[in-house]
Amino acid sequence: MSLRQHILVVDLSSGRMRREEIPPEFLRAYLGGRGLGVRLLRGRHTLSPFDPAMPVVFAVGPLCGTPAPTSARLSVVSRSPLTGTVYDCSAGGRFAWRLRAAGLFAILIEGKSPRPVVLAVTSCGEELLPADDLWGKGIGDTVGALSDRGSVAAIGPAGENGVLFSCIMMGEGNAVGRGGLGAVLGRKNLKAVTVDGDRSVAVADRERFDRARADVLRLFRASPVIFGELGISEYGTPALVDLMRQRRMAPTENFRRTVFDGSSAYSGPAIRAAYGAKKEGCFGCPIRCKKRASDGRALPEYETVSHFGALNAIADLHAIVRGNDACNDLGMDTISAAATLSAWGEARGRFPSPEEIGPLLHDIAHRRGEGVLLAEGSRRMAKALGKPGVSMSVKSLELPAYDPRGAYGMALAYVTSNRGGCHLRAYPISHEILRKPVASDRFSFSGKARMIKIAEDMNAAVDSLVACKFAFFGASLEEYAELLSGVTGEHHTPQGLKEIGERIYLTERFYNAENGFTRSDDDLPVRFFTEAGSSGEGIDVPPIDRARFEEELTKYYRIRGLRDDGSFADDGFLERQP
Amino acid sequence: MRSLIRKYAEKLHRDRSIAQGRVGIAAKDDVMLTDGAPDLSRLAADVLSRLSCLGVVAASPSLPFAEFLLRRANADAKAIVPLDTETRTFLHDIPIVRREELAGDPVRAIAAHLSNRKGVIAEGVGIVASGPVTLEQAYIHYSSVFHAAFVKYLLDALQAGFVLPGEAEAFRGFRETFLRPLTAEGLSFRPGPFDDPEEVLSEIRAVGRYTVERGLVDSFFGNISCRVGETIFISQTAASLDELAGCIDPVPMDNRSTTGITASSELLAHRRIYEATGARAILHGHPKFAVAMSMLCEEKDCPVKDCWKDCPNVRMLGNTPVVAGEIGAGGLAVRVPPVIGASGKAIVYGHGVFSIGRDGFEEAFRSMVDVENRCRDEYFRRLDARGQSKSE
Ligand code: SF4
Ligand SMILES: [Zn+2]
Ligand SMILES: [Zn+2]
Repeated sequence: MSLRQHILVVDLSSGRMRREEIPPEFLRAYLGGRGLGVRLLRGRHTLSPFDPAMPVVFAVGPLCGTPAPTSARLSVVSRSPLTGTVYDCSAGGRFAWRLRAAGLFAILIEGKSPRPVVLAVTSCGEELLPADDLWGKGIGDTVGALSDRGSVAAIGPAGENGVLFSCIMMGEGNAVGRGGLGAVLGRKNLKAVTVDGDRSVAVADRERFDRARADVLRLFRASPVIFGELGISEYGTPALVDLMRQRRMAPTENFRRTVFDGSSAYSGPAIRAAYGAKKEGCFGCPIRCKKRASDGRALPEYETVSHFGALNAIADLHAIVRGNDACNDLGMDTISAAATLSAWGEARGRFPSPEEIGPLLHDIAHRRGEGVLLAEGSRRMAKALGKPGVSMSVKSLELPAYDPRGAYGMALAYVTSNRGGCHLRAYPISHEILRKPVASDRFSFSGKARMIKIAEDMNAAVDSLVACKFAFFGASLEEYAELLSGVTGEHHTPQGLKEIGERIYLTERFYNAENGFTRSDDDLPVRFFTEAGSSGEGIDVPPIDRARFEEELTKYYRIRGLRDDGSFADDGFLERQP
Repeated sequence: MRSLIRKYAEKLHRDRSIAQGRVGIAAKDDVMLTDGAPDLSRLAADVLSRLSCLGVVAASPSLPFAEFLLRRANADAKAIVPLDTETRTFLHDIPIVRREELAGDPVRAIAAHLSNRKGVIAEGVGIVASGPVTLEQAYIHYSSVFHAAFVKYLLDALQAGFVLPGEAEAFRGFRETFLRPLTAEGLSFRPGPFDDPEEVLSEIRAVGRYTVERGLVDSFFGNISCRVGETIFISQTAASLDELAGCIDPVPMDNRSTTGITASSELLAHRRIYEATGARAILHGHPKFAVAMSMLCEEKDCPVKDCWKDCPNVRMLGNTPVVAGEIGAGGLAVRVPPVIGASGKAIVYGHGVFSIGRDGFEEAFRSMVDVENRCRDEYFRRLDARGQSKSE
């Protein structure tokens, strides 16, 4: 890859568009993807997420467009209306690969269109198309209408109506999920982006690249989590359902319990038996963890089945799959949707029934009835109902399906994540539960502060390459640094990549600090410190020891070079970054 | 953290991979903790302070093989490339840091290599290995390098003889004093077949420990399972054979549940072996002479390029078949099951040994001891033959 890469800057207010060269020092210092997006936000990072001047950046990474495994991905970066933090999300499918084929490394979208539009990009140029007739349509119809324009990233009714956890859906069933970036595009009156092209990406040192690629594939084959007969290639992420049940850390009934007896109804094998679970993947990915039913619809991920399932005490697989379908078509995050419903269920004393789920999801997306309140996410909803304790979120982001009482690294990582309660920033589930690359003691805080810090740095680099987190259940940064060296012809090392990751992570934290986030925001819902999980079968799941948690958090700040209150000792940090 | 440091230092002593007292371990949290020989622990700490890692192990190996490999390597070689599966899959190669490079700023030189690899061989120092995720990983990476260097040296010595001053003497010391007879005598096994899960778990834990105590495998490498009815009890991935309490997954034969996603990467091989042979117990480890001998193929003009993965042949080492096949989904699960039934044991090219017990673990254990002993004998027979033909 050369350091001459182009970005398309789109001003929706004026309709002006231009392709520019990305400053090479940005690519060197931030790689691409998440890192590049975060850098490009600088200077506007304190704007309100709904301010027309707030940019949304779509950025691929240096591996995209090459045969590097799991690398046909991109990051979308902006500021989240749900959390108020800087926000990025990585998504696969074919969109990223086609964006690169259109001759682009990134698209930065700013301003606000007076009318609904679609941004259509090809290797020959770009145009804004009127989209009045698409406004109001679901993802399926929108993608269908634009299917001759290559890959589609679109918002659904949820994004149009400003649901705070609305997604940008990639046509193939992948979501830019969680933080409500769909609503940010909705405010801009941008219904969809399409990309297509025929450019290819050069690999500087083919031999080095091929060797690294063979190493990666061998490690994938050696990993039980990836290619094992019970792994994610076979069953998709729902392979985790049985495991989380067995480890007694599947959030149940809004995190009041950690074992749900009905979980076998939606386990990996159960989904396969009921729907066939055909393998599918992001472009060129050998793992192909995505699963489709025989009728072609995208089947739910682990988080989705567990949260529509255990979290809402629903053991009805078909209702869960329908909930997933509805979210996908409405363009809404399944984790936050299900968790918000669950919190609301606890607040009113009854979890929604399987039949109520579908209508409630539509009400949320269209902001009507109960949906008006639910569309604000669990924290705002719970506060409005006078029961703030029922929102199981960190920085307003609903927690995913790994109970922190069952994995202490996860507990810490939820609060240190720069985008709120997310499992993917440090992804300690990898070692605490899946034993990859090695196992760590899940019921201990010992060493976790530094483990989380290093993993956050590593994953910031991974999100900037952009590779898939699942690749690291087998491979390591060692092989991915080699892939990058092969692509660029320059020498990269895991250590160097982690240092880039650290810069990205600290930049994000700095933005958040400027937006008023402090140590008090780095906290878990009280429930985890006061109530036990569901002990049994020789596994004790006590509440988390608050003092020990705080002690480890302080250590974490010190390791990060921050003050004990989590703030930056150095106000000039940002200015010194490239 | 302190207790972990001590634990891994003790493990390294116990498995005889370090020279007595010659280990330094550093682990970093918000502060740096060290233990062991002052010079080596200082080195470990200094190297660690330059890396985004949890821990570093720096030690002088109990055998000079790594050092010999370094000195035997071409002057322009930057790394050695052992051919065992461990290296091929996880280490890729092992950087060597020569005296000249260490003369200026040794910490910097070692850290530079470790920024890209899991372990290095530093001339006159020993093996230095890092743990990016946990301290245990630094211990594992040390063991991997030690293992890989051991196997490579056996092969190189057989191929090219002794070339450095002192090498022959050191090797004689290794052969006559370091190596101990391998035996299953004095161990007690429960006779199978089993039906009580508790009994199985405790037997698996005991046998796992035996394999390490008797020097058959290094603690981290290998896996073990037992079939009871329609359930396979199997050690988890990344579990140490001598610490299996809480690290054994029950996996239904029919894949009804996916809890076994954390089971050993060789689960599929174990399952197929049970199906093909009716065995009740399986042991798998990487005894070093068997690994070395498995790679001594004498086929001439063979068209196969990737022996580890693609060799279609079944070669016999005595009465033990040797087949190819990579880890996990890579192929050994296809090639081992059809050949293991006849003698109850099989060797995987460059990788290790599988052995089975028709009722319990005793048969499997004795088979593995037997394979390794025969491979040892055969190795030394060839080495002696080589020496003789040279002196003639
Ligand atoms: S592992 Fe799954 S999510 Fe990741 S790139 Fe492959 S198909 Fe996409
Ligand atoms: Zn609707
Ligand atoms: Zn093995």
